Amino acid sequence: MSTGTRLVLEVTGLDVHYGGRRGRRRALHGVSLSVAPGETVGLIGETGSGKSTLARTVLGLVRPGAGSVVVDGEDVTAHSARQWRELRRRGVVQYVFQDPLRSLDPDLTVEASLTEPLLVRGTGRPEAAARVRAFLPRVRLAEDLLDRLPGELSGGQRQRIAVARALVTEPRLVVLDEPVSALDSANRVQVLEILKELRASGVALLFISHDLGSVAGVADRIAVLYRGELVEVGAARDVVGRPQHPYTRLLVGSAPTLRGVGADRAERAALRALLPA
Amino acid sequence: MTTVSERLLTRAEEPGTGSPGPADPPGPAVPLLSLREVRIADGSDGREIVHGVSFDLTPGKVVGIVGESGSGKTLTCRAALGILPAHFEVTAGSIEIGGTDIATLTPARWTALRGATIGAVFQDPASYLNPSLRIGRQLAEVVRVKKGLGRRAARERVLALLRAVHLRDAELVHDQYPFELSGGMLQRVLIAAAVAADPRILIADEATTALDVTVQAEILDLLADLRDRAGLALVVVSHDLAVVARLCDEVLVMRQGEVVEQGPTRRVLDDPRHAYTRLLISEHEQYGLERFLEQTAPAAPPPPAAPAELIAPIAPKEEA
Amino acid sequence: MVRRVLALTSGRVAVAVLTVVALLAVLGPLLAPQDPLATSDHPLAGVSGAHWLGTDYLGRDVLSRLLDGSRVSVLGALEVALTALVVGVVPGILSVYLGRAFEWITLRLADTLVALPFLLFAVAVIALLGNGLTQAMLVTGVLVSPLFYRVSRAATLAVARSQYVEAALISGASVGWVVRRHVWSKVLPPIAVAFAQTIGTGFVIVSSLTFLGIGVQPPEPTWGGLLASDLGYLAHRPWAPLTPALLIMVTVWAGNLLADAIRDVSGEAGRALLKGRGARTGRTEPTEPAPAGGA
Repeated sequence: MSTGTRLVLEVTGLDVHYGGRRGRRRALHGVSLSVAPGETVGLIGETGSGKSTLARTVLGLVRPGAGSVVVDGEDVTAHSARQWRELRRRGVVQYVFQDPLRSLDPDLTVEASLTEPLLVRGTGRPEAAARVRAFLPRVRLAEDLLDRLPGELSGGQRQRIAVARALVTEPRLVVLDEPVSALDSANRVQVLEILKELRASGVALLFISHDLGSVAGVADRIAVLYRGELVEVGAARDVVGRPQHPYTRLLVGSAPTLRGVGADRAERAALRALLPA
Repeated sequence: MTTVSERLLTRAEEPGTGSPGPADPPGPAVPLLSLREVRIADGSDGREIVHGVSFDLTPGKVVGIVGESGSGKTLTCRAALGILPAHFEVTAGSIEIGGTDIATLTPARWTALRGATIGAVFQDPASYLNPSLRIGRQLAEVVRVKKGLGRRAARERVLALLRAVHLRDAELVHDQYPFELSGGMLQRVLIAAAVAADPRILIADEATTALDVTVQAEILDLLADLRDRAGLALVVVSHDLAVVARLCDEVLVMRQGEVVEQGPTRRVLDDPRHAYTRLLISEHEQYGLERFLEQTAPAAPPPPAAPAELIAPIAPKEEA
Repeated sequence: MVRRVLALTSGRVAVAVLTVVALLAVLGPLLAPQDPLATSDHPLAGVSGAHWLGTDYLGRDVLSRLLDGSRVSVLGALEVALTALVVGVVPGILSVYLGRAFEWITLRLADTLVALPFLLFAVAVIALLGNGLTQAMLVTGVLVSPLFYRVSRAATLAVARSQYVEAALISGASVGWVVRRHVWSKVLPPIAVAFAQTIGTGFVIVSSLTFLGIGVQPPEPTWGGLLASDLGYLAHRPWAPLTPALLIMVTVWAGNLLADAIRDVSGEAGRALLKGRGARTGRTEPTEPAPAGGA
């Protein structure tokens, strides 16, 4: 049934609000974004931009106020809790948290954490164990780590385990929330390399980060979220090289690079003045 | 001689009064801060964590330390501040502040020195402020203890400090609680607190790590201002080579307690000698913005040390 | 878990003592050298060959009464603790998952149970259900169940908000799976501590109810009952309360020791502790200490 060209994720006109009638706050407004199979989309936004809300909506943890979310051809906008569980159990969409130490149960061995998404789908224990073992080389982990606890591993190993847990079900889409922000350089490079390799298997990645720099190297396209609205979407090269929206230009101009910053402070002040207050 | 914050404050209020800037030769004076082969060990098991760090900091100079958590960069800073965690101790080498070996300092002398000569800001600003006290009151405490000012004078000074760190509405921030401020604003408040007692040296340990990129750029601007307008000497610590490269004259690259590379910033960036430095650079080249900027912006942007004329016209800028 | 508890000295001691107590409960009545109810002409006798622990105010052999009473005492205390466990833990965990209404109702019920005057309630229920050890212990168990409700609810709440539970839910895990796989191991240690505490309380409650004529009926002996009657004759045999008191104390102490051992070896902290004792070696990373202190 799956056609190679069907979009993995299609978000259209998404509105999300938080809070009750009073103190009602808009988190997302009119957000439309699509992800094609095998594509990596970088979603950039700073604190309060709504990027985590968008991720949580795609995962069914937040219910949208308006708009629609279509995951792998299935309209999930009005899905009930039961329908969501069915969808999740199929392992179509998976999620990687920022901090692997908190997203792995400290009392479960690596093997138990890795087999979990397979076991909840009803995969038999021996098969789940075998699939986990077969997957480990793809995240460059050795089998002798399987009986360790997360607390006994390095940060980089933990994040690779979190990546493996998300990918072992062979999902169509993985949402990664700041997956390398908590890592040091060597591990950051390694996880980014692994993500690049995994894309070859056809999985689509929605790579969320506050830092344009950490996404630029892996994303095919980049979407920039500012105060709940998508202000710019385009090929990574264009968004970084020829940013259009003042906010994107400010982001690119502020990011520290080895060649200094893109914009001096007068330029940045001018860009800031162009942004809605 | 005028004090750092006086110079800072007058400049902030009268923009464009000359530009002594970093170009001023610091003179042959003794370095403000001098580390010589400093080694630090964990006293509980005798393990050496930092294996020899040396650098000299003269007025207006900026030294950067790059390394990941566990590289010993934070311990080195804390040793210079005399606030090593329990069990840790300097086992060899010497640290001199203004020519005085800190090993000879009494606790009372240390207290006098901290704030007045050497100040610091760290990664998580919120944890250094009392959540139940207004910003103004917490800053006034620093000013009154360190400068012996009265209530009214202290308030005026706090407001001037808040303006000097480019907080848009100093009066408002003065009466706000920490939770009402954004991370970038809190870090500005802490920088204000750190420079309140006119230190000659400011240590910024991952001071911008928790902040958004656009805010980080402004805090780095602020640190550059402090250096240029007040001749403050800075130690900037970060895991990101690019952050350090923006401000620093000299860079130390640390890995597992060892200084694997040390030298003038441009030399380290253009001609890295250690594999680890090359890794840090290649991470930017492969995965950072540099990958795209290269083609689109062949004309190299100005070097990190911003010319004085860009810094002179300073008006309190907007807060993110 | 069992292996990890036994790796600790305290765990081994606790398990050994509790095994002896369990054996006493099973075999005690059979081991009693004399009829625990038979009176003799030598009330309040001292230690002798015939009566190793002397006799009580009716001339009954104290050793026989202690041994005979151990089954009822231990069973009673266990019944209290088990009832409280089941009545408290199940709604405690479910209150986090079954929605607002269930949460509100169970919270109010727990508050109500705490507020009820214990003895009055016990007497009222006994009047309804008839007098008997089981009824009395069930009532007591229900009354102390809020402790388990609170403990298990608090532990569950902490786990339910964790990212690894969210990760499991995103993978399609059901609530039942989450409870079995993630919640249970975190809730168990505090429950074990509460259980050991409640066993101790149980011994005391069994005896104080006996004193009021609820539950175990005289002349049937219990440890608590013996303690109570011995206390009345302190002037004649000042050392006599020591034996039942010591039995209760040692059992409660062993229970607490076991609970502590379970708490110590569970979770990450437990692994670290065992590792520190050389039971297991693993690598640790050097980490930089977090900055502390004010600016």
